[in-house]
Amino acid sequence: MRSVGIGFVAAATAAAVGFLIVPALILGAPLEPVMGFVQKIFYFHVPCATVLFLSTFVCAGGSIAYLFKGSEAGDRVAASAGELAVLFGLCTLVTGPLWGRKAWGVWWQWDARLTSALLLELIMIAYLLARRYGGPAGRKLSAALALFAAIDVPLVYKSVDIWRTVHPQTTVVPSLDPRMRPAFWSAFVLILLVWAVLFMVRLGLEGARAELASLRLEAEDMLETG
Amino acid sequence: MKKTNRWGRGWLLSVGGLAWLAPALAIGQEFQKVSGPLREELPATPFVAAAYGFIWIALLAYVVWLARGVGRVRKDLAELRGRISEQADRGGPRP
Repeated sequence: MRSVGIGFVAAATAAAVGFLIVPALILGAPLEPVMGFVQKIFYFHVPCATVLFLSTFVCAGGSIAYLFKGSEAGDRVAASAGELAVLFGLCTLVTGPLWGRKAWGVWWQWDARLTSALLLELIMIAYLLARRYGGPAGRKLSAALALFAAIDVPLVYKSVDIWRTVHPQTTVVPSLDPRMRPAFWSAFVLILLVWAVLFMVRLGLEGARAELASLRLEAEDMLETG
Repeated sequence: MKKTNRWGRGWLLSVGGLAWLAPALAIGQEFQKVSGPLREELPATPFVAAAYGFIWIALLAYVVWLARGVGRVRKDLAELRGRISEQADRGGPRP
Protein backbone atom coordinates (compact mmCIF):
# COMPACT_ATOMS: atom_id res chain seq x y z
CA MET A 1 0.00 0.00 0.00
CA ARG A 2 3.01 2.29 0.52
CA SER A 3 3.79 2.09 -3.21
CA VAL A 4 0.22 3.28 -3.83
CA GLY A 5 0.92 6.43 -1.81
CA ILE A 6 4.14 7.07 -3.72
CA GLY A 7 2.22 6.47 -6.93
CA PHE A 8 -0.32 9.14 -6.05
CA VAL A 9 2.44 11.66 -5.34
CA ALA A 10 4.14 10.80 -8.66
CA ALA A 11 0.81 11.06 -10.55
CA ALA A 12 0.00 14.42 -9.03
CA THR A 13 3.54 15.71 -9.76
CA ALA A 14 3.50 14.48 -13.35
CA ALA A 15 0.04 15.96 -13.96
CA ALA A 16 1.00 19.30 -12.42
CA VAL A 17 4.28 19.57 -14.35
CA GLY A 18 2.59 18.42 -17.55
CA PHE A 19 -0.28 20.84 -17.06
CA LEU A 20 2.19 23.72 -16.87
CA ILE A 21 4.83 22.82 -19.45
CA VAL A 22 3.13 20.86 -22.24
CA PRO A 23 0.34 23.38 -23.06
CA ALA A 24 3.02 26.08 -23.33
CA LEU A 25 4.95 23.93 -25.82
CA ILE A 26 1.75 23.23 -27.77
CA LEU A 27 0.83 26.91 -27.93
CA GLY A 28 4.36 27.69 -29.08
CA ALA A 29 4.23 25.14 -31.91
CA PRO A 30 3.50 26.60 -35.38
CA LEU A 31 -0.07 26.70 -36.69
CA GLU A 32 -1.13 24.16 -39.30
CA PRO A 33 -1.92 26.11 -42.53
CA VAL A 34 -5.20 24.33 -43.46
CA MET A 35 -6.88 23.66 -40.10
CA GLY A 36 -5.36 26.48 -38.08
CA PHE A 37 -5.65 26.62 -34.30
CA VAL A 38 -8.04 23.66 -33.93
CA GLN A 39 -5.21 21.31 -35.03
CA LYS A 40 -3.75 21.82 -31.51
CA ILE A 41 -6.19 19.12 -30.34
CA PHE A 42 -3.98 16.64 -32.25
CA TYR A 43 -1.21 16.92 -29.60
CA PHE A 44 -3.36 15.18 -26.99
CA HIS A 45 -5.83 13.29 -29.19
CA VAL A 46 -3.16 11.04 -30.75
CA PRO A 47 -1.38 10.17 -27.45
CA CYS A 48 -4.76 9.33 -25.87
CA ALA A 49 -5.59 7.00 -28.79
CA THR A 50 -2.15 5.36 -28.56
CA VAL A 51 -2.60 4.76 -24.84
CA LEU A 52 -6.06 3.32 -25.56
CA PHE A 53 -4.37 0.77 -27.85
CA LEU A 54 -1.66 0.06 -25.27
CA SER A 55 -4.23 -0.46 -22.49
CA THR A 56 -6.24 -2.82 -24.69
CA PHE A 57 -3.15 -4.92 -25.49
CA VAL A 58 -2.12 -5.06 -21.80
CA CYS A 59 -5.70 -6.02 -20.89
CA ALA A 60 -5.68 -8.78 -23.52
CA GLY A 61 -2.27 -10.04 -22.33
CA GLY A 62 -3.49 -10.29 -18.73
CA SER A 63 -6.71 -11.93 -19.91
CA ILE A 64 -4.75 -14.58 -21.86
CA ALA A 65 -2.70 -15.35 -18.73
CA TYR A 66 -5.92 -15.65 -16.71
CA LEU A 67 -7.86 -17.71 -19.30
CA PHE A 68 -5.15 -20.22 -20.18
CA LYS A 69 -3.04 -20.36 -16.99
CA GLY A 70 -5.58 -19.30 -14.36
CA SER A 71 -3.25 -16.44 -13.29
CA GLU A 72 -4.91 -14.20 -10.69
CA ALA A 73 -2.15 -11.61 -11.19
CA GLY A 74 -2.94 -11.61 -14.91
CA ASP A 75 -6.59 -10.97 -14.11
CA ARG A 76 -5.66 -8.04 -11.89
CA VAL A 77 -3.45 -6.58 -14.65
CA ALA A 78 -6.31 -6.99 -17.15
CA ALA A 79 -8.85 -5.32 -14.84
CA SER A 80 -6.57 -2.32 -14.26
CA ALA A 81 -5.69 -1.89 -17.93
CA GLY A 82 -9.32 -2.38 -19.01
CA GLU A 83 -10.45 0.53 -16.87
CA LEU A 84 -7.70 2.78 -18.29
CA ALA A 85 -8.66 1.73 -21.83
CA VAL A 86 -12.19 3.02 -21.21
CA LEU A 87 -10.87 6.27 -19.67
CA PHE A 88 -8.45 7.09 -22.51
CA GLY A 89 -10.91 5.82 -25.12
CA LEU A 90 -13.42 8.33 -23.80
CA CYS A 91 -10.81 11.09 -24.05
CA THR A 92 -10.10 10.07 -27.67
CA LEU A 93 -13.78 9.90 -28.63
CA VAL A 94 -14.59 13.28 -27.08
CA THR A 95 -11.60 15.23 -28.42
CA GLY A 96 -11.97 13.74 -31.93
CA PRO A 97 -15.48 15.10 -32.62
CA LEU A 98 -14.50 18.48 -31.14
CA TRP A 99 -11.72 18.64 -33.71
CA GLY A 100 -13.97 17.24 -36.47
CA ARG A 101 -16.75 19.78 -35.90
CA LYS A 102 -14.37 22.60 -36.81
CA ALA A 103 -12.25 20.80 -39.41
CA TRP A 104 -14.95 18.78 -41.23
CA GLY A 105 -18.07 20.75 -40.28
CA VAL A 106 -19.71 17.75 -38.57
CA TRP A 107 -19.42 16.20 -35.13
CA TRP A 108 -19.38 12.62 -36.36
CA GLN A 109 -18.93 10.58 -39.55
CA TRP A 110 -19.75 6.88 -39.74
CA ASP A 111 -16.49 6.13 -41.52
CA ALA A 112 -14.16 3.18 -40.90
CA ARG A 113 -11.83 4.87 -38.38
CA LEU A 114 -14.46 6.50 -36.20
CA THR A 115 -16.82 3.52 -36.24
CA SER A 116 -14.11 0.95 -35.41
CA ALA A 117 -12.78 3.19 -32.61
CA LEU A 118 -16.29 3.51 -31.17
CA LEU A 119 -16.66 -0.27 -31.41
CA LEU A 120 -13.39 -0.70 -29.48
CA GLU A 121 -14.61 1.62 -26.73
CA LEU A 122 -17.94 -0.22 -26.53
CA ILE A 123 -16.17 -3.60 -26.26
CA MET A 124 -14.03 -2.25 -23.41
CA ILE A 125 -17.12 -0.86 -21.64
CA ALA A 126 -18.72 -4.31 -22.10
CA TYR A 127 -15.54 -5.78 -20.58
CA LEU A 128 -15.98 -3.71 -17.41
CA LEU A 129 -19.72 -4.39 -17.23
CA ALA A 130 -19.18 -8.16 -17.62
CA ARG A 131 -16.59 -8.08 -14.81
CA ARG A 132 -18.88 -6.10 -12.53
CA TYR A 133 -22.24 -7.75 -13.19
CA GLY A 134 -21.37 -11.04 -14.95
CA GLY A 135 -21.69 -13.15 -11.80
CA PRO A 136 -19.37 -16.15 -11.21
CA ALA A 137 -18.50 -16.47 -14.93
CA GLY A 138 -18.03 -12.71 -15.33
CA ARG A 139 -14.24 -12.71 -15.20
CA LYS A 140 -13.91 -15.39 -17.89
CA LEU A 141 -16.53 -13.73 -20.08
CA SER A 142 -14.79 -10.37 -19.79
CA ALA A 143 -11.38 -11.97 -20.55
CA ALA A 144 -12.83 -13.30 -23.81
CA LEU A 145 -14.16 -9.83 -24.64
CA ALA A 146 -10.67 -8.38 -24.10
CA LEU A 147 -9.34 -10.71 -26.82
CA PHE A 148 -11.94 -9.37 -29.27
CA ALA A 149 -10.95 -5.82 -28.33
CA ALA A 150 -7.28 -6.62 -29.05
CA ILE A 151 -8.26 -7.94 -32.49
CA ASP A 152 -10.08 -4.66 -33.17
CA VAL A 153 -6.97 -2.54 -32.41
CA PRO A 154 -5.03 -3.24 -35.67
CA LEU A 155 -8.28 -2.73 -37.57
CA VAL A 156 -8.75 0.71 -35.97
CA TYR A 157 -5.14 1.67 -36.68
CA LYS A 158 -5.01 0.53 -40.32
CA SER A 159 -8.58 1.52 -41.22
CA VAL A 160 -7.46 4.95 -42.49
CA ASP A 161 -4.99 3.32 -44.90
CA ILE A 162 -7.33 0.53 -46.09
CA TRP A 163 -10.55 2.51 -46.62
CA ARG A 164 -11.21 6.06 -47.77
CA THR A 165 -12.06 8.06 -44.67
CA VAL A 166 -12.24 11.71 -43.69
CA HIS A 167 -9.77 11.03 -40.85
CA PRO A 168 -6.05 11.84 -41.40
CA GLN A 169 -3.88 8.84 -42.33
CA THR A 170 -1.21 7.11 -40.21
CA THR A 171 1.51 9.02 -42.07
CA VAL A 172 0.63 12.22 -40.19
CA VAL A 173 2.95 11.58 -37.23
CA PRO A 174 6.07 10.43 -39.19
CA SER A 175 5.71 13.36 -41.59
CA LEU A 176 5.13 15.94 -38.86
CA ASP A 177 6.85 19.31 -39.28
CA PRO A 178 10.11 19.28 -37.22
CA ARG A 179 8.95 22.42 -35.36
CA MET A 180 5.81 20.58 -34.20
CA ARG A 181 7.66 17.50 -32.96
CA PRO A 182 8.83 18.76 -29.51
CA ALA A 183 5.23 19.65 -28.57
CA PHE A 184 3.88 16.34 -29.86
CA TRP A 185 6.49 14.09 -28.23
CA SER A 186 6.36 15.94 -24.90
CA ALA A 187 2.56 15.50 -24.82
CA PHE A 188 3.03 11.86 -25.81
CA VAL A 189 5.54 11.21 -23.00
CA LEU A 190 3.30 13.03 -20.50
CA ILE A 191 0.24 10.95 -21.36
CA LEU A 192 2.34 7.77 -21.30
CA LEU A 193 3.73 8.72 -17.88
CA VAL A 194 0.29 9.53 -16.50
CA TRP A 195 -0.95 6.19 -17.87
CA ALA A 196 1.96 4.27 -16.28
CA VAL A 197 1.42 5.87 -12.88
CA LEU A 198 -2.36 5.42 -12.97
CA PHE A 199 -1.85 1.80 -14.01
CA MET A 200 0.54 1.20 -11.11
CA VAL A 201 -1.84 2.77 -8.61
CA ARG A 202 -4.85 0.90 -10.02
CA LEU A 203 -2.90 -2.39 -9.90
CA GLY A 204 -1.99 -1.68 -6.27
CA LEU A 205 -5.66 -1.12 -5.48
CA GLU A 206 -6.60 -4.40 -7.18
CA GLY A 207 -3.92 -6.19 -5.12
CA ALA A 208 -5.22 -4.61 -1.91
CA ARG A 209 -8.78 -5.70 -2.79
CA ALA A 210 -7.55 -9.28 -3.32
CA GLU A 211 -5.78 -9.16 0.07
CA LEU A 212 -8.96 -7.85 1.68
CA ALA A 213 -11.01 -10.67 0.13
CA SER A 214 -8.61 -13.34 1.39
CA LEU A 215 -8.51 -11.77 4.89
CA ARG A 216 -12.33 -11.79 4.96
CA LEU A 217 -12.27 -15.50 4.19
CA GLU A 218 -9.77 -16.07 6.99
CA ALA A 219 -11.92 -14.06 9.40
CA GLU A 220 -14.97 -16.12 8.47
CA ASP A 221 -13.00 -19.33 9.03
CA MET A 222 -11.90 -18.07 12.44
CA LEU A 223 -15.45 -17.26 13.42
CA GLU A 224 -16.67 -20.69 12.34
CA THR A 225 -13.88 -22.61 14.10
CA GLY A 226 -13.65 -20.24 17.08
CA MET B 1 -71.44 43.25 -61.94
CA LYS B 2 -70.75 44.03 -58.28
CA LYS B 3 -69.41 40.49 -57.78
CA THR B 4 -66.98 40.88 -60.74
CA ASN B 5 -65.69 44.17 -59.29
CA ARG B 6 -65.04 42.51 -55.92
CA TRP B 7 -63.03 39.73 -57.60
CA GLY B 8 -61.12 42.26 -59.68
CA ARG B 9 -60.20 44.28 -56.63
CA GLY B 10 -59.08 41.14 -54.79
CA TRP B 11 -56.94 40.09 -57.72
CA LEU B 12 -55.33 43.50 -57.97
CA LEU B 13 -54.61 43.56 -54.23
CA SER B 14 -52.97 40.10 -54.39
CA VAL B 15 -50.76 41.02 -57.34
CA GLY B 16 -49.84 44.32 -55.72
CA GLY B 17 -49.02 42.61 -52.41
CA LEU B 18 -46.81 40.03 -54.14
CA ALA B 19 -45.01 42.73 -56.08
CA TRP B 20 -44.40 44.58 -52.84
CA LEU B 21 -43.09 41.39 -51.11
CA ALA B 22 -40.99 40.20 -54.06
CA PRO B 23 -37.69 41.87 -53.06
CA ALA B 24 -37.99 40.46 -49.55
CA LEU B 25 -38.65 36.93 -50.90
CA ALA B 26 -35.74 37.22 -53.32
CA ILE B 27 -33.33 38.09 -50.49
CA GLY B 28 -34.07 34.75 -48.85
CA GLN B 29 -33.28 32.83 -52.03
CA GLU B 30 -30.20 34.60 -53.36
CA PHE B 31 -26.54 34.55 -52.33
CA GLN B 32 -25.56 37.81 -50.78
CA LYS B 33 -22.30 39.58 -51.32
CA VAL B 34 -20.25 40.09 -48.18
CA SER B 35 -19.26 43.63 -47.46
CA GLY B 36 -16.07 44.10 -45.42
CA PRO B 37 -13.65 41.39 -44.24
CA LEU B 38 -15.04 37.82 -44.05
CA ARG B 39 -15.37 36.63 -40.45
CA GLU B 40 -14.93 32.98 -39.41
CA GLU B 41 -18.24 31.50 -38.26
CA LEU B 42 -16.80 28.88 -35.90
CA PRO B 43 -13.93 30.11 -33.72
CA ALA B 44 -11.42 27.33 -32.91
CA THR B 45 -10.58 28.38 -29.34
CA PRO B 46 -13.73 26.96 -27.63
CA PHE B 47 -13.16 23.58 -29.31
CA VAL B 48 -9.51 23.41 -28.27
CA ALA B 49 -10.35 24.58 -24.74
CA ALA B 50 -13.17 22.03 -24.45
CA ALA B 51 -10.91 19.19 -25.64
CA TYR B 52 -8.09 19.99 -23.20
CA GLY B 53 -10.53 20.74 -20.40
CA PHE B 54 -12.28 17.41 -20.88
CA ILE B 55 -9.02 15.43 -20.76
CA TRP B 56 -7.83 17.11 -17.57
CA ILE B 57 -11.21 16.89 -15.85
CA ALA B 58 -11.55 13.19 -16.80
CA LEU B 59 -8.06 12.41 -15.46
CA LEU B 60 -8.65 14.41 -12.30
CA ALA B 61 -12.01 12.70 -11.70
CA TYR B 62 -10.37 9.30 -12.17
CA VAL B 63 -7.55 10.15 -9.71
CA VAL B 64 -10.13 11.31 -7.12
CA TRP B 65 -12.19 8.12 -7.64
CA LEU B 66 -9.03 6.03 -7.31
CA ALA B 67 -7.95 7.86 -4.13
CA ARG B 68 -11.36 7.24 -2.56
CA GLY B 69 -11.17 3.54 -3.49
CA VAL B 70 -7.68 3.18 -2.00
CA GLY B 71 -8.78 4.99 1.17
CA ARG B 72 -11.80 2.72 1.58
CA VAL B 73 -9.78 -0.49 1.07
CA ARG B 74 -7.07 0.73 3.46
CA LYS B 75 -9.66 1.41 6.15
CA ASP B 76 -11.34 -1.99 5.65
CA LEU B 77 -7.98 -3.79 5.75
CA ALA B 78 -6.96 -2.07 9.01
CA GLU B 79 -10.35 -2.82 10.56
CA LEU B 80 -10.24 -6.48 9.54
CA ARG B 81 -6.66 -6.96 10.71
CA GLY B 82 -7.61 -5.46 14.07
CA ARG B 83 -10.59 -7.81 14.40
CA ILE B 84 -8.48 -10.86 13.47
CA SER B 85 -5.76 -10.01 16.00
CA GLU B 86 -8.43 -9.32 18.63
CA GLN B 87 -9.98 -12.73 17.94
CA ALA B 88 -6.56 -14.36 18.12
CA ASP B 89 -5.84 -12.66 21.50
CA ARG B 90 -9.10 -14.01 22.89
CA GLY B 91 -7.79 -17.51 22.21
CA GLY B 92 -9.19 -18.25 18.82
CA PRO B 93 -7.07 -20.08 16.28
CA ARG B 94 -4.38 -17.90 14.68
CA PRO B 95 -4.67 -17.63 10.91
